[in-house]
Parts: sequence; C-alpha cells; structure tokens
Amino acid sequence: MSGLAARVVDAVKIHGSGDTEVRALDGVSLGFTAGRFTAIMGPSGSGKSTLMHCAAGLDTLTSGQAHIGGTELGPLSDRQLTLLRRERVGFVFQSFNLLPTLTVAENITLPRDLAGVRADSEWTDALIDVVGLRDRLHHRPGELSGGQQQRVAVARAFAGAPEVVFADEPTGNLDSRSGEEVLRLLGDAVRQMRRTVVMVTHDPLAAAHADEVVFLADGRLVDRMDSPSAESVLDRLKAFDTAGAPT
Amino acid sequence: MTVTAPGPSTPGSSGGTRAALRLTLASLRTHRRRFAGTFGAVLIGVSFLAGTLVMGDTLRASFDTMFGNAAAGTDAVVRSDSMITTPGNTQGTRQPLDTGILKTVEKAPGVAAAVPSVEGMGQIVGSEGEPVGGQGPPTLAGNWITDPGLNPYTLAEGRAPHRSGEAVLNRGTAKRGGLRIGDTTTLRTPDPVRVKIVGLATFGGQDGMAQVTYTGLTLADAQKYLMPAPDRAAGIQVRARPGTGQEELAAGLDSVLPRGVEAVTGREVAEEDQEMISGQFLTLFTTLLLVFSGIALLVAVFSIHNTFAIVVAQRTRENALLRVLGASRRQVLTATLTEAGVVGLIASAAGTAGGIGIAAGLRALFPAIGFPFPDGSLVITALSLGLPLCVGVLVCLSSALVPAVRASRTAPLTALRETAAESTGVARSRVLLGAALAAAGCAATVAGAGDGGRSIYLTGAGAVTVLAAFLVLGPSAASTAVRALGAPLARARGVTGALAQRNALRSPKRTAATATALMTGVAVVSLFTVFASSLKATMDESVSRSFAGDVALSTPAFGAGGSGLSPELAPRLQRLPEVETALGLGRGVASVEGAGRALTVTDPARLGNVLELTGVRGSLDDLGENGLAVAADEAAKQGWHPGSTVRLRFTDGEAQRFTVEALYDRNELAGDYILDRSAWAPHRTQDSDTLIAVSFKDGVSTGEGKEALTESARPYGNPAVQTREEYAQSSAGGIEMMLTLVYALLALAVLIALLGIANTLTLALHERTRELGLLRSVGQTRAQLRAMVRWESVLVAAFGTAGGMVLGGFLGWALVRASDSAGTGVFDLPVLRLGTVALVGLAAGLVAGVRPARRAARLNVLRAVATE
Repeated sequence: MSGLAARVVDAVKIHGSGDTEVRALDGVSLGFTAGRFTAIMGPSGSGKSTLMHCAAGLDTLTSGQAHIGGTELGPLSDRQLTLLRRERVGFVFQSFNLLPTLTVAENITLPRDLAGVRADSEWTDALIDVVGLRDRLHHRPGELSGGQQQRVAVARAFAGAPEVVFADEPTGNLDSRSGEEVLRLLGDAVRQMRRTVVMVTHDPLAAAHADEVVFLADGRLVDRMDSPSAESVLDRLKAFDTAGAPT
Repeated sequence: MTVTAPGPSTPGSSGGTRAALRLTLASLRTHRRRFAGTFGAVLIGVSFLAGTLVMGDTLRASFDTMFGNAAAGTDAVVRSDSMITTPGNTQGTRQPLDTGILKTVEKAPGVAAAVPSVEGMGQIVGSEGEPVGGQGPPTLAGNWITDPGLNPYTLAEGRAPHRSGEAVLNRGTAKRGGLRIGDTTTLRTPDPVRVKIVGLATFGGQDGMAQVTYTGLTLADAQKYLMPAPDRAAGIQVRARPGTGQEELAAGLDSVLPRGVEAVTGREVAEEDQEMISGQFLTLFTTLLLVFSGIALLVAVFSIHNTFAIVVAQRTRENALLRVLGASRRQVLTATLTEAGVVGLIASAAGTAGGIGIAAGLRALFPAIGFPFPDGSLVITALSLGLPLCVGVLVCLSSALVPAVRASRTAPLTALRETAAESTGVARSRVLLGAALAAAGCAATVAGAGDGGRSIYLTGAGAVTVLAAFLVLGPSAASTAVRALGAPLARARGVTGALAQRNALRSPKRTAATATALMTGVAVVSLFTVFASSLKATMDESVSRSFAGDVALSTPAFGAGGSGLSPELAPRLQRLPEVETALGLGRGVASVEGAGRALTVTDPARLGNVLELTGVRGSLDDLGENGLAVAADEAAKQGWHPGSTVRLRFTDGEAQRFTVEALYDRNELAGDYILDRSAWAPHRTQDSDTLIAVSFKDGVSTGEGKEALTESARPYGNPAVQTREEYAQSSAGGIEMMLTLVYALLALAVLIALLGIANTLTLALHERTRELGLLRSVGQTRAQLRAMVRWESVLVAAFGTAGGMVLGGFLGWALVRASDSAGTGVFDLPVLRLGTVALVGLAAGLVAGVRPARRAARLNVLRAVATE
C-alpha cells in the first residue's frame, strides 16, 4: 500500500466542452499518507473540491487515475463504488450532513446499518464519548446546534473505521468555537486513533490543525507545507494573491 | 484514548434491508402530513371498491333468502313449458295453464296438496288517487292461496278474501298507499277493479318482498281479471307428502302430465327467479359500481404518483447523502417503495373497513327509505376483503414506482450541490411525441366516428391515444394554459394574482400532474353528460318524429311499468266530443324464426292518424287476422317483401302464417311488427295497452282536451295525460335518473382529485417556506398570502377542468357518433350542464386551496426566513 491511504495520478477533470470548457483539474498527482491529517487549500475555483470528490470516488476523472488504498476507482461499477464508500471511506460535509428523520444514534450507525453489519458497540460507544453526545443520542438533528450536528457527522464518518475520511469545509458553517472543537476531534482521530483525514478548507486557522497542507491553483498542485501554522499558511496564500499562481 | 478501531466487516445477509425499512419508517413518522393526501385518495378508492363488493354479495345473499322464502313450502310447480323472451324483456312471457289439469295433479304420486296459482300485473291505487309502485320492481296481483304452506305471504292482520271484490295487500304497499283495512280502492289489472281491503300480509317476516307490491284476490276474481279465460292459471303449486323429495315429486308429476306442461321443483323456481335478478340487475349494478371505483382509483393513481414525485424531488439531497454513505441504488429504491407500500397497506386496510362500514350503513339506510331489505346479515367474503387490500397496495406501489426509480438514480454528488431542484423545462421531444400522439388519436377517433365506417373500436383506440397525448402534452399545455388563464387574474388581482400565476408556472410538470387527476374526473363527467344529453335528444327527437297526436297516455318508461293501461280506456276516450282519434297500442310477443320479438297490437287502420308513419308500401287498412305490417329495415334483415309469408309462434305453442301486407319506415313507437287486435286475441295473456295516442278535433285546444281526458281517465287509476313534449321528456326519464347516479359516483373521483391538489399545494408551500417568510417580511399581509395560495389552486383547477372538458366533450361526441349505427342519432352539447361542471371544477380548486392557504398564513415570519 506504500503507506498511502489515497492517491491520484495525472488527474484531469474537465467540465463542459468547447467554449465553456473548464479544466478543474489539470494533471494533478498527489498521495495522502496513511495516519496523517492533510489539508487541501487554494483560492476559489482552484479545483480543491473537485480533487476531493474525485479522490473519494464521488466523481469520475476525465483522465488519470484515483486510488483508495490499493484499489483503482476508474474501472469500478456504480455498485462497487457504493460498497467502497460504505466500507472504506468516511465523509464530513459543510452542511446537510445528517438525515433529519433519524436520531443521533441512528445517524451514527447508518453506514453500518446500510451495509447490514452490526456496529462495533465498543468502538461506537467510545466515539460517542469522544464527541461528547451521550446525552443527545435520541434527539433528532433539528434539535441540535450546528456544532453538535457536525460532531455527530464526525462520529458517523469514523464509525465504520474507514481507511480515509474526507472532510469538505467541515467548519464552513460553524462559529469559531464550534469549528475549533470539530477540528480538534479530527486531529485527535488521526493522532490518537491512527486514522487518515483529508480536509478541504479555505481557512488558514483550520489548516493549521493539519500535519501537512497542499496548495492548489488553477487545477494544479503548486506547493506543499509540513507542520503548518496559521501564519505560515496565510503568508503562503498572500503570495498567491500578489504573485499569482506560480507555474 | 486507547480504543482500537474494528477490522473490516463482512456484510450481513438481511441487515441492509432492515436499514432501508428503518429509514422508511422514520421518514413516515416524520412526514406523516405529506402522505395525508395519498392516504385519503387510497382510502376513498378502496372504500368504494370494498363497499361495492360487500354490497353486491350482501344483496345477492338477501335475494337468495327472499326467493328461498317465496318458494318455501312449494315442492313443485306445474306450468306450461312454452315461454317467449324478447330483447329488452328477459323475464319472458309464459302461457297460462288450463286448470282442468288440477285433478290429474292431485292424483299424482306423493302429492299432499295442489292449488292453482294465478299471477299477473295489478297495480293498486293509493288513498290519494296515485298508483303505488310501477317505477322499477313489478306490481303483482294473484289469487290468495289459503294453504299457508304454499303461500309465501302470511296474513298479519285481518282475514283472507272470501267474497268477490275483497283483497289482501302486503303491508308495505298499504303503508305506501296510505291504505287501511276496510278501505275501498282501485286495482288496475289494468281494467279498473274496485276492491275492499280485508287483510294485510307480510313476506318472510318483512313488510314485503323488497319493493314488489302484491294484491291477493279470490281465485275466481284473479282468474276473471288476470287470465285470458276463467279456467286458467299461471301454474299449479304442489306440496309433497312427507317422505317425498322435490325431485321425486317433480319426476312423478312429469310422468302423468300432458305434452306442453312441465313440473319443476320449488328449488329450481327459486333459482330461476334469483338468476333473473342477480344475473341481470345485480350484475349490471355491481359492474357499474366497479367501473366507477376503477375510475376513482385511476384518479388516485395520478394524485399518488404526483405526491411521490414531489416528495422524492424534495428529498433529493437526503437520498444523495444516503448514496454517499454507501446506500446502494436498490436500498434507496426499496426504501421509497416500502414507504408507498406501508402507506398503501394502512390506507387500504382502513379503506376496506370503511367500505364494510358503508355497506352496513346502506343496509341500515335502505329500509329507512322504504326499501325493505330482506333478513340476512352483511356478507363479507375473503375476496371482498383481499381484493381491495391488494388493489390499494398495488395502486400505491405502481404510482410510486417511477419516482422511486428516479430516487434510486440520484447521483451521490447531488448532496454537495447547493440547489437540487427538479428540472422545469419541457423537452422538445416530449412536445413532438405528444403532438404526434394527439394527431394520430384524433384521426383514429374521428375516423371511427365518421360517416364512412362507424367503428366503436377504432374510436376507443383513438380515445386512449388522445388521453395519452393529453398526459404527454400536459406540462407544455400547463404553462400555456396557466399563462392564458392567469392573465386576467394578474390584471384583476394585482401582485397577488401575478404571484399566484407565476407560482403555478414554476414547475409546469408538477402543475400538469396535479391537474391530471382533476382532468380525468372532469373528462369522465363531461363525457357522460354529453353522451346522456345526446341520447336524450335522440329519444326526444325520435318521439316527436314518430308521434303525430296531440297528447299521450302512457305507462312509466322505466322498470316493469306497473300494470299498463286498460284496453277499455282507448274506446272510452274515443267517445269524447273533443277527440278525433284515441288509439291504444298494446304489446304482444311471438317467436319469429326462432327468436322472440315484440309485437305492437293495435287498430292498424287508424294508426296513421296518431303516428307519423312514413314510407308505407302496401296498406295497413285491412291487416285482419292473417296480415302483418313490418318495419322496412327489419323486413330487409329477414329478406321479406310485401306479400311474403311469415310464420309466428305464440306462447300458447300455436304457430300461424301471416302475410306481410305493408312495410313502413322505422318508427320508435310503432315498433318492428304491427298486428291487428283480432289477430292477437286468440293468443293473448293479460291484455294491456302501453300507450294511448290521442289527437283532438280541430279547434280543441290542448289544455281543454287534456282536461277532458284526465277527467275520463280518472276511474282507470289516474294515468298521466302528457303533451307531446312531456311525453318525449318522460320517455327519456330513465336516462336522467342514470345520469344522477353517475354524477353521485363521479363526485368521489372529483373528491380524490381535490385531495391531490390540496396535497401538492401543501408540499409546494413547504418547499417555499423561506420564500413565503420573505414575502411576509416585505409586507405581504396574511390575507394576501392566503389569496395568493387560493388563486394558485384555482388556476391549477381551471387548467384541469378546461382540459377535462375539452377531452370529455370531444370523446363524448366521438362516442355518440360511433355508437350510432342507425345514423339517426343527435349530438347535443348541453351548455348549461357543462357550465355547471366547469363551476364545480373551479370550486373544487378553491376548496382545495383553503387549508394549505391557512397553514401557510400561520407561518412565523422569522422562523420561515431562517429555514434552509
């Protein structure tokens, strides 16, 4: 597995055709190391969300390859992709994360239920304690605050012990304190439970929680940075604004 | 944290389905409201179906009991084996029996008792001078059989008739006529007979045999008034000695009876009677009801489909999220279908219970409105429980199938997009397909209805194609129609009207689907209205074309028609100074070339004075005892010409040769065969006229003449004297009655459509919560908001109503033309009636909008704006 939980090779994604053609990804090759917390950053339209969708098997590449662990996603059928998402990948989104009709507990075990396997109760129990929602288990999402909802989503993403969890602007809709809590949860999951997290964000403070930051611009990988801090990330982003995207 | 993650898991076998089921139930719990309309639609449709089935079974069982009662105690019946059935009168006419045979019967082995039974038509006149009954069930008269074992009626009060002129009535008839023991009244046999009521009878513990009226006379009286000769009877009822079975008895009798006379068991007679009622009336009745529950369920399918389509659209992001989290397509499909199945199952169960309740209610109601229901409890078979349940669930599942498949095709990525609205555009290919279907359908329909070759099948196929075209073209028609219909609204109601119009235009597909339910209902209503109105106009016209007299005395055109008119009446009226011609027309039956035919028995020489007989070839002046006049098209069918010899066999078994003396153009009132009274007299059973046509002398006004006739006819049981127009109207009275029933049944379909509109609106408003809050926050008053919603509802209803009327009107026209093989039909567009239908459609829209409007107006502005 070469220590990579997920990777893309020469990833190209083209939206539309002719005059309206947009190259959202323009030959990106990148691996996400297992057991690390990676943040993807870049200005709007840089292709960071597209990269995540394609790496996670939600969207297909125009050319190039995407792998989860040792599995190449391209040749997989819809059914195989569904099973792969169910068994090996977790997701946290910016909003609309939970099914409004299910309780918190049911939402957390949903992927396991869909797979028709009994959730590992010890693991689930521990997760519930980690995200601090034991007293809310039988509430509906509508009765929770935004931060609490996102914590439920984090618990759900890790419930199946997936090889990699993708988070798409997980703090985008939260106030700074709630956002901080969610980021800490993601960081703890990587460092204490040996999980892998890939997060798309535009917030330097969020990116600072990651072990590594990769920068995208105009659909290309332009830089990587280890052990980032909010200041160093901000500086790097300012460099984009003044100098434009270096090629 | 020291917890270790679990290893890779292996999928269980059934857990995935369980997850789908749990999702379904959770969603149903949360969105109960959304399915209220679906629930209601299925409930009503299924109730209707279950009620029909239970009612049919119960009626059948009740009639079984009733005819069982009627034949109870009678082990065998001896009767003539000669019976002739004519089209339209399946009861048939049986030749009376010579009672001289009684001695032979009494001496047959196993016979304990044998009594002659005389049966005929006899209508009693009530205390107000109005005849009782005659509008449906038969009005019977006969001899009062004193052997209680052989008489299905039991004396409840008073005594049996001993002397001539005494009579026993069944209690129901006496009640309806306001008659009591000791009263004297008239019995129309149809010659008026004065009778004194000496007793009241019950039938099987009830006031009567359903609504059949019964008058019991002495044997001599009954033979005198009801039989062609005094020594005749309809049959002989026989009771067996103990130890002799019915079959044994009948076989024993058969061996001693002469040719032309047969013995049948009591059970067979009961079965024959039963077959006649359930075979004819009940089958027609239940088939009609089943057709209408089918229509109701079809309308329900449209409403339910629409509800699920909207719910699935609203849930796109939810379904997409499920797909992201690893739900397979099959799981999403299963979840949606299970939801439909659960709703269908609960609603169908409730509907089945409701249907049984309706049947029980009707059973309780019938006696209250004077229709004594024979004893017997509600009959609920496994079929009437199982079928509605299955149909209800199936309707739900099939309605939800397309939306469910659409739901399962949701791309996972949809969950991450900001908006997930339905596509609103109408595909060009759809318009083209619709136009092609419409063109083909119209062409086929018109071709089938055209003058070339009329074909009801071609028209039917065309009609189905046109219906399909309407469904396909619905969305594009919806935007055009709403734009056109809404334009005056926007002008008249300002911004509220404009908003309503634009909301209805928002998703033409949805508007069209919502309106489709109402459209179907209105189309069927319009079709029936046009068809019935045309049928009536046709009858009107044929009566006024056939009838040349000034007034008519007739028996009711619907049902058994009472006892008819006395043959004495016409000669009596003829003697009035005002009358030029008063001619009675009676009915006879004979078998022509093996098939029963109705004969018109009259004085043919004078027929031309009161009927418009055209195209007469030959002469009707001197038909005599061996002459016959035949309608030209019947003669052509049989290959006869003036001078041909025709063999007629009568109910008495005798065959006689007739010469065709004249041909005439088809005439509704004259019928196909005209015979002189002298030719019919030897073969007659109980004589009566069905119509007396009268023309007045010059200078006598219709008013004067009518008054004189009414006065003279009073002793004959007060028959109605009608002008030409009145007569034409009353001839078509049955159609009117039928149409009323059809309207009542179709009201259910319209109710279901109404539920559909209300439900769609509620769902759409839920979707627009935020927008509504916005409107309110910028100053829309609650009243304005309510008006906006109501107008949207009216617009959708207007579209559905307009579409339905065009469709129904067109198909009605086609049906009238296609079914008119003789080419004498009239197409009539009942403008006033269709106008009423249109108003009802619009009112339905208004009513449907009330509740959603009220709910929307209750929204809290702040919370609404904050809704995502």
